[in-house]
Amino acid sequence: MTYTASYLAVAVFFLLGLALPVVALTAGRFLRPDKPSAEKSISYESGVDPTGDSWVQFNVRYYLFALLFVVFDVETVFLYPWAVVYDALRADMGLFVLGEMLFFVFFLVIGLAYAWKKKVLEWT
Amino acid sequence: MKTLIDFDWTVMAPELTIAGMAALLSVIDLFLHPNKDRRFFMWPTLIAIGTAIGFVATQWGKPAYQILADTYRVDDFAFVFKMILLIGTALVAVISYGAFRREKGFAEGEYYYLLLVALLGGMVMTSSGDLITLFVGLELLSIATYILVGMRKRAITSNEAAWKNVVLGGVASAFILYGMSFLYGLTGSTNLFTMKERLGEALTSGYDLYAWLALFLIVFGFGFKVAVAPFHMWVPDVYQGAPTPITAFLAVISKTAAFALMLRVFLTGFLPLFQGGGGTLVDEETGGRLLLTMAGLSMILGTVIALRQQDAKRLLAYSSIAQAGVILVPMATWGPFLFPSTVYYLVGYLFTTLGAFTVLMLIEGDAGDSKLSSFAGLSRRAPLTAGAMALFLLSLAGIPVTVGFFGKFYILMNAIVTGSPEHWAMYLIAGIMLMTTVASYFYYFGIIRMMYFRPPQRREGLRVPVGAMMVIGIAFIATLGLGLMPQWILGILGNLDWGAALSPVK
Repeated sequence: MTYTASYLAVAVFFLLGLALPVVALTAGRFLRPDKPSAEKSISYESGVDPTGDSWVQFNVRYYLFALLFVVFDVETVFLYPWAVVYDALRADMGLFVLGEMLFFVFFLVIGLAYAWKKKVLEWT
Repeated sequence: MKTLIDFDWTVMAPELTIAGMAALLSVIDLFLHPNKDRRFFMWPTLIAIGTAIGFVATQWGKPAYQILADTYRVDDFAFVFKMILLIGTALVAVISYGAFRREKGFAEGEYYYLLLVALLGGMVMTSSGDLITLFVGLELLSIATYILVGMRKRAITSNEAAWKNVVLGGVASAFILYGMSFLYGLTGSTNLFTMKERLGEALTSGYDLYAWLALFLIVFGFGFKVAVAPFHMWVPDVYQGAPTPITAFLAVISKTAAFALMLRVFLTGFLPLFQGGGGTLVDEETGGRLLLTMAGLSMILGTVIALRQQDAKRLLAYSSIAQAGVILVPMATWGPFLFPSTVYYLVGYLFTTLGAFTVLMLIEGDAGDSKLSSFAGLSRRAPLTAGAMALFLLSLAGIPVTVGFFGKFYILMNAIVTGSPEHWAMYLIAGIMLMTTVASYFYYFGIIRMMYFRPPQRREGLRVPVGAMMVIGIAFIATLGLGLMPQWILGILGNLDWGAALSPVK
């Protein structure tokens, strides 16, 4: 049952992950002195006094930017290993390797052109 | 060593045609003036589909062939299903022509190329020999349809439908992936044929629980994609909210592609879980029981809930759940006519359902809603359309001389010849099929009664555009012709090498 046993490690990590914050916060609660004041109760924001509401509306374009970023991030993930083994692949398959990646990049460029024409790249 | 260039890339010609046209149309759409009417996009779409049909026809009957490290296979099974998908999408494109004129903010250019992308996904699904290509195809189809469902962006029902489709579709995909990850863990391969060899070993060497877990997870996901009970909750709302041509697309093309996927995966990779002892393929220890339960449940639930519907679009949605149950029967019972009976039924279902949805689309455009009462007096306003609709409904109900009757009969026969006293479940499923068919007469005839025996709400005739008229005509001829002369298509299906689809290419 080694296949099942290998999930034991996962289970242990899962339990540890659950236990760690609970134990740390509970232990802290018993160890620390409890003397609240108005200033101490303000939520900590890098030493700056927090202003405004926590329900801030973000510009919806953040999401479009994030999506576009992910697309090109994934492109890099594909391009990098391809570039590393390019010489070996080239010896095996010739220029087909280059054509294959150009095909992929071509479709991504269509996606970029789409984003550009639909004004995703403009902020206002 | 064989290099990639030595492979016969022409086998991918249909897919490359569709992909190329989708890319071309998306670029044209971007650089065309925003106010320009994009209805003409239907023509390039049809040209691409026609070319792809031509490529499939020239390859028809060639021996099975695998490319891309055995992940992509082209065999008779793939040809048949690709033909169904291509013809179905072409008909959907034709009825979409000008159907969204009055819709504000409807991206008509995107509509056509997303249709092509969804079709491409379906085609990839039918000819994948590997879990990875299979999943890529499935997601291509799913993501394109998520957008298509939400195309009417000013309509609140369309938004609701898109939202439900995305969330539930995403959950289903996650389940499929989780099941696939177990399969990979058990067999160390994503290739369906390697999986078949190694899964049998995993079953007998103490890992049977994981194999069953993988099957259950994947059945859950596939059940959602083909819309069978108990994974059908999304169907009525999504079908109702989507633009009607897209509803037809979901009911026909998405469903057919998902059935192709199910057949491929269950008959190759999962085969060890379905093979029982004693010559037949269903007993207590096999997955066949699972499929039988799902088939029976879909037929009963789909039919019973459809009885109470007042909205024709929801009625057809529930009826499509019941139909999915029927299509699942051959896969669950196996038997000698598994492939031909499934494919025959799917071909009939394609034309009948597309015809019915086309008429529904016209009614919807005319009355502004899809209530059953909007069909009142159609026979006096548009006698030909009403006659065609009556035939489609009779076919869906399974009345003789229509394609639906022979399809159901064939599936029933397949179940009965497979049955035996030890395998009484076949008789049970055949009985459920007969009973739900009889019960379904009630609601199908309800629409016919509306059309013929109720006074019309309006006097003037129904406006039928040329495209819709042609699709109704084609569907009418096919529904009647294939019903009267089933041997035409059965002859073609009988000559195909179904066994090749289930064995690896050496």
